[in-house]
Amino acid sequence: MSDPILSLHRLRQVFDGFTAVDDLSMAIPQGEIFGFLGHNGAGKTTTVQMLTTLARPTSGTATVAGHDICADPLAVRRAIGYVPENVRLYDTLTATENLLFFARLSGVADPRARVREVLDLLDCADLADRRVGGFSKGMRQRIGLAQAILHRPAVLFLDEPTSGLDPMGIKMLRDLILRLNAEFGMTIFMNTHLISEIAKTCTSIAVLSHGRLVFHDRIEAVTARYGDDTALEVLYLSLTPVGRLSEVA
Amino acid sequence: MPDAVLTASPLRTIAAKDIRDALRDRFIVIVTAFLGLAATVALMTGAIALRGDVATYEAAKATLLAIGKAADAIKAPEFYPLRLLRGAIEQIEIIGAAIAILIGYRSAASERGRQTLALIFTRPLSRWQFVAGKALAGLGLLAGGLALVLGGLTLVLQLMSGIGLTADDLLRITIVWAVATAYTACFFLLGFLLTLHMRQPSHALLVAFAVWLLLVLIAPQIGDTLDPDNQVAGGVFRQLNIAKSDQVQIMKGFATYETLRDGIEQASVTKHFERFTFAVLGIKATYAGMPLGPILTEMLGNLVWIFLTALGLGALALAVPINPDRLAKA
Repeated sequence: MSDPILSLHRLRQVFDGFTAVDDLSMAIPQGEIFGFLGHNGAGKTTTVQMLTTLARPTSGTATVAGHDICADPLAVRRAIGYVPENVRLYDTLTATENLLFFARLSGVADPRARVREVLDLLDCADLADRRVGGFSKGMRQRIGLAQAILHRPAVLFLDEPTSGLDPMGIKMLRDLILRLNAEFGMTIFMNTHLISEIAKTCTSIAVLSHGRLVFHDRIEAVTARYGDDTALEVLYLSLTPVGRLSEVA
Repeated sequence: MPDAVLTASPLRTIAAKDIRDALRDRFIVIVTAFLGLAATVALMTGAIALRGDVATYEAAKATLLAIGKAADAIKAPEFYPLRLLRGAIEQIEIIGAAIAILIGYRSAASERGRQTLALIFTRPLSRWQFVAGKALAGLGLLAGGLALVLGGLTLVLQLMSGIGLTADDLLRITIVWAVATAYTACFFLLGFLLTLHMRQPSHALLVAFAVWLLLVLIAPQIGDTLDPDNQVAGGVFRQLNIAKSDQVQIMKGFATYETLRDGIEQASVTKHFERFTFAVLGIKATYAGMPLGPILTEMLGNLVWIFLTALGLGALALAVPINPDRLAKA
């Protein structure tokens, strides 16, 4: 196993007395497709906000690609790409104009060439000169993914990437994620609710419940221990409040 | 590993994107065109009247010459074409400030609603660069819009008034353009700041317009309405034939009242803008025909107030940290 590209040590986030993330420690090796599971309000998005330097942790620390998120946030930002849930981009601008904007902000050396390259890579060159305002959810998600990989990040953070997508869109996105990981060695950190996607895409998973890490292992270990994909759902439910309630019932 | 190198200024990139985005927004284009139209109509009405006065004078002069008398037998009236810009200045004061709030609101609300703030802040740039880029775009839009409006008005003035504008007139209009940009920038920053930081962008817009109502419509009027000398047409003192020395003596008895009244006026950046522009353009009779130098010296306080308000709001925008909650939720 290679050195961890993401390393979290006792990470904690408290908002107005509410502990959103509590004492979170884990390490994710380079090249993983990591699935981060948890119920609504479990603290997944807050964790991603801290790792992407959008929010400063209340205590604890983390490194991304060897850079401390508090001490060197600009270096962390150079190493990451981020796709939030339901990203909309700038409706009045074309796909190319949107991507050029983010490429320039990321300091990409030849932004025009890189934008063409990424549009080709994601098989959406036909969208280049169309305004994003007229795009479907799936098209937006692809351009959203394109903006995140323009600067060839080492780690790609995806927050509920399949939210609102139809089955075709989900499959297309899954193939893209697998391709980015296989061809470019990109580490993927994915927040999701879809257990079926975890089984098909991820190499390791973790489950967060009420801000606390309750499970973290490689996917082969999970399937070896619990059997097929359905067992993953049983495992997840047993670790979350909903599962525990059903057990009581 | 990323191969990114910083080749373009993030500040310039953000400003260029914002300007392009706003120029494609029909609402912004339409309201700016409305301001131009309202100001042009106000100017044309005055210009037609002035053209009539000029024609009357020219006809009288021609008649004098025709009957063999000297043209200076009647005193040449003084025409101040820049005074016709009064309506335009009032439109900038009120509608221009409202448009600036809308541009500021749009600048922040559109990023929040589209969740693009999170995309921007995961790029290698500082938050001050983001705020400064936004402010630069706002300034660019306001300066461009005002240049179009005032440039168009200058042309209309030249064509319709029948009086040629001098280099001094053009300089005065240029000064007014620069100060109008700073004045409207105050309202842009107000709308931008509130929308960026308040929980609900729609509430921020309401608060911004409440402040606009207070600063633009209420405070400047209070001064005029509560001025004891304004209670009777032509002035109380004048109607009662009270001598200047006695007026001063009488007003000493109202010192606290006058301080309060003046304080309310002073608090309004709009009043400072009005005082400055009315003086520079000679709209206020006292300053008509007066050279620019002494006017600028006398109006320096108003000028400083306008620029300090804009700079203060700009500094506040740079200093206040952005709540992470505002980054990903509308």
